[in-house]
Amino acid sequence: MSVEVKQLGVSIADKRIVQNVDLHIGDGERVGLIGSSGSGKSMISKAMFGLLPTNAQISGSVMLGDTQIIGADETVLASLRGRYVGAVFQNPASSLNPVLAVGKQIELPLKLHYDLDKADRQARVAAMLEKVGLDETTAQKYPSELSGGQQQRVGIATALITSPRLIIADEPTTALDSITQRQIVDLLVSLVDKAGASMLFITHDFSVLARATTRCYVLDNGQIIEFGDTSDLLNNPQNGQTKKLVGAARELTLQRKRDSDD
Amino acid sequence: MTSKDECSTTDTNQASRESTNMSQDIVSSVGNSVIQPSGKVFKSTKARSSNKLTVVLRSIWQRGEGKFALIVLALWVAVSLVSLVWTPQSLWATDGYHVWAKPSAAHWLGTDGTGADVFSWLMAGARTNLFIAILAVVFAGALGILLMGAMVSRNSALSNVSVVAVDALISIPTALIALILAVPMGASVAVIIIACGIGYGLNLARIARPQALLAANSDYVASSLSYGASGFSVMLHHILPNAMPTIMVQLSLSAGTAVLAESGLTYLGVGVPSGVPSWGHSLATSVKFINVYPLTVLWPGLIVTVVVVALNVFGDVLRDAIDPVTNPELREV
Repeated sequence: MSVEVKQLGVSIADKRIVQNVDLHIGDGERVGLIGSSGSGKSMISKAMFGLLPTNAQISGSVMLGDTQIIGADETVLASLRGRYVGAVFQNPASSLNPVLAVGKQIELPLKLHYDLDKADRQARVAAMLEKVGLDETTAQKYPSELSGGQQQRVGIATALITSPRLIIADEPTTALDSITQRQIVDLLVSLVDKAGASMLFITHDFSVLARATTRCYVLDNGQIIEFGDTSDLLNNPQNGQTKKLVGAARELTLQRKRDSDD
Repeated sequence: MTSKDECSTTDTNQASRESTNMSQDIVSSVGNSVIQPSGKVFKSTKARSSNKLTVVLRSIWQRGEGKFALIVLALWVAVSLVSLVWTPQSLWATDGYHVWAKPSAAHWLGTDGTGADVFSWLMAGARTNLFIAILAVVFAGALGILLMGAMVSRNSALSNVSVVAVDALISIPTALIALILAVPMGASVAVIIIACGIGYGLNLARIARPQALLAANSDYVASSLSYGASGFSVMLHHILPNAMPTIMVQLSLSAGTAVLAESGLTYLGVGVPSGVPSWGHSLATSVKFINVYPLTVLWPGLIVTVVVVALNVFGDVLRDAIDPVTNPELREV
């Protein structure tokens, strides 16, 4: 599903958080949104779900396919969420209900959007668990019995079980270690591509960005300061702020290499 | 969006084709034990327990104080049921020549001031108290959960109003509610049930709110909203299960307090009307003579104390037993 964001502005209590954001995601395209903490990344993703806080003032337009999200009716939004748009969240440990078995949590979106009997739903949950690389006994487990990486796989399974056409991944790897990060990004990319869905990948990590996306937008202080092909942008940043971000990421990577060489 | 609909239908077709293979696997492995791909053999939970209730009861039974609570509560229910069809003596068989009699073969716990059998009255009282405790808890639970939901609602007008309302109403003592209700209704069992239901319901909402609020503001609720869950679905699947341990403890404490309230309100003359057997009634009719016939006060007092302690202990053990985080056995159901 394509996304067309035009002149999006969000302000809360007269403080402008996002302004004049133009963003385009083509059908089946994986696009990144990168920026430092507090740059307004999550606000943009919330705007796409129509889940901004009630006291937020919103201007501009967000089109998902041919549906306008800004000012849309709650019933329209509820039918879009989960069915056409799925989300993967930052912190897998807190994104899962601690007192509900994992299988039941993956099953909930199916229950909401499809008219299936219980056996059919459970079979789909088992198939989905296999797709994200977990064995079917995981369905009976509770989140506290899983590792961070396994929890995020459950998060991905929950987002993809209804086969949505757009996945919004809001820093899905930030809470994971670097090896698990790579596995989760690769899993997400392969599943999204296989389903032919589009993805908006939000992160502040350039190495993850290069792996997950083909095109990206750089957000600073609520405004898009640069956009283009991900590899071009990483190799040859134009904007001063982007240069700083890329430079800092590179230094960190070099530092990490030096540490591991010692 | 029609073209996209078709697109996702093919996806789901594929999924269902995969799922048929899956379900065959599941069907073939139904038996006493399920052999996992890793080669491990898991004991089928069906062999030991069929449902969550059995597991919870077993977990409670495994603890000493839980055993005590279960035995007392089971005895309470059993005696209440038996009293419906049989008591050692008729409740109305009074004997003017043998008032305040000592315990004997005919009157196991002696007789009261009218010469009626104390043991029979206490047996019959058990059912009145059980009835009051159950209905008060059901009423308090329904009201409390409803108010708790309103207090953590995403609709800020509703949540603000309900928080203020609960905080204001909670300051009215339960006894005062009962006294007010007794004006139009007179002394009756309904007065106790309604007063306790309102009072304990407000308490429950106030006490469960922090837990519910934690769940309502959690990432997993944000996640379920992002896949289109309604407020009701969030309440049912996320907020209520997370607040349940707190709610269960509070409700079993409320059951104990309802038994105490019955005694207190009956003594004040706004509870169980005279002629209806209850532990409070047995206490109220004999308490004036405590210096002369201490035994007649001791029996109902002892029963009330033991039952209230059992209910309080039960809540404590139940809390650990129904939480899958603290009770690993529950995860295997």
